[in-house]
Amino acid sequence: MKLPISKPYLMSGVLLLLLVWPFLWGGDNAYALYIACLIGIYTILCLGLNITIGYTGLLDLGFMAFYAIGAYTAAILSIHGVSFWLTLPVCVLVGGGVRYLLGLPVLKLRGDYLAIVTLAFGEIVRLVANNTVGLTNGPKGLPRVGEKISEIRLFGWSLNDTIHFYYLILAFVLLAVLVSHRLEHSRLGRAFVAIREDELAAELSGIHVARVKSVAFVISGMFGALAGAIYAHWIGFVSPEMFTFWESVFLVAMIVVGGMGNIGGVVLGVILLVGVPEILRSTLGAKFVDYRMLVFGVVMVAVIIFRPQGLIPSKRRSLELHTPEAE
Amino acid sequence: MPGELLAIRDATKYFGGLEAVSGVTLQVADGEVLGLIGPNGAGKSTLFNLITGVYAPDRGEVRFKNRKISGCKPHQVVAAGIARTFQNIRLFANMTALENVMIGRHVRTRSELAEALLRTPGFKQEEKAIQDYARSVLDLVGLLKAGNDLVKNLAYGDQRRIEIARALATEPSLLLLDEPTAGMNPTESAEVMGLMGVIKRKGIAIIVIEHQMDVVMNISDRVAVLDYGKKICEGSPFEVQKDPKVIEAYLGA
Repeated sequence: MKLPISKPYLMSGVLLLLLVWPFLWGGDNAYALYIACLIGIYTILCLGLNITIGYTGLLDLGFMAFYAIGAYTAAILSIHGVSFWLTLPVCVLVGGGVRYLLGLPVLKLRGDYLAIVTLAFGEIVRLVANNTVGLTNGPKGLPRVGEKISEIRLFGWSLNDTIHFYYLILAFVLLAVLVSHRLEHSRLGRAFVAIREDELAAELSGIHVARVKSVAFVISGMFGALAGAIYAHWIGFVSPEMFTFWESVFLVAMIVVGGMGNIGGVVLGVILLVGVPEILRSTLGAKFVDYRMLVFGVVMVAVIIFRPQGLIPSKRRSLELHTPEAE
Repeated sequence: MPGELLAIRDATKYFGGLEAVSGVTLQVADGEVLGLIGPNGAGKSTLFNLITGVYAPDRGEVRFKNRKISGCKPHQVVAAGIARTFQNIRLFANMTALENVMIGRHVRTRSELAEALLRTPGFKQEEKAIQDYARSVLDLVGLLKAGNDLVKNLAYGDQRRIEIARALATEPSLLLLDEPTAGMNPTESAEVMGLMGVIKRKGIAIIVIEHQMDVVMNISDRVAVLDYGKKICEGSPFEVQKDPKVIEAYLGA
């Protein structure tokens, strides 16, 4: 696909649009901002999941587990008065650590088997959250009555409005995009893709497959926990029903529809699958609201039939081909 | 043996009750080209898998540069200096030709996550070195101009050469080629033979599994023959051609 303008200009334009976005909606912007924040959170999540599914080809059907781990860790620490800026790295480390331990037995499995085991892990985390009442307050969620997830403070300011969270989330989305991009075009990122394409050939070309897979797995878990920690502070409430199997499948669907292994594709997938149902909810009118999931399903089936590689397929970068001597 | 590079001693591998490789002893000297022939199912590819660490031998051992490598992981074997190609082409289909070859550099480079995320000067330098090396290898196999094409779009013969280039990018001292001319027309076969000559002149030893006898007899310093997992004959191409056991194995007399 040839863009009418060069990439740096496009990127600057998008960035500018994102920065002024809250002001395009005049006084009544709460709903638009809420959707934008939600899209941002899901973008961080999906960029994380894209590292395992998109780059490394490891099908993970329980990714919400790490979102949950991040959200619960953040909620528990925050209720005890720990600052957001300390909570965040702790959540990322806890998410990465659990992901590492999960990877030790699980990454020996491939394809369908890995999908089933990650699915099971996702359910285990949800059930643990549901049943360890002492720690998580069970199905009633955190915080308990009388407790509060503390506000995020930044340079003496309290972040307590959606617009504040909009910019906070935007900053982390940009960070997630940067990390994904740099990873993609590195020795490690190429090894991810090589493993996706042919694991045995990758090992026999000198890649320590078990280790590289583990790195991919851990980084993606960290993205998940990061998104969860931000979400818990933004919404101020966590409960087990937010982290169902359906949500994990939904994440995979966003990546597949948008374009596996392509950062722009993943972002587009999130915008479509999170944004469109919300827009349909507000535009279809009361009579048709119940049909929005039907419309949504038809769109997804159509995408898979007519564009199985996703809306923006993954594309390899062209490199300079002249050898210095040849010139 | 002077200049001994690879020494296989009594290597044996069972698949259930089947003895796929049975007590094979074989040496390869520095810079030597060894042709490995035998009927289908003779255990040639299994022997490659034993050398490269895909399987561990049930009995016997493989030594490379006087170090035991049987029992090592395949990526460790590559690091030690053995690279291979596959009977059925195994490339990274959705990566470009150049990237496929760059993967071969993985084992000779070291930048990790932190360097990649911070884009340190060392990372950029190494990235450039990886690309430069990969380009030079691609040029060696004559496919530099196809560097930015996805390998799945390349012609069959070109894919074979990309596979060889990827193996060469690991800087091996021993290259294992599993039927490099399979499915090729005479012109393409001749090109691959020429390439093998170039590789040999670089001082890289080669073990080549091959069914086209003219290729084997032309390129090999020595030929070993496997049949039903056993080495039945070993010697110069001329000696092997005359050996009655070899003729029997092939013609089933």
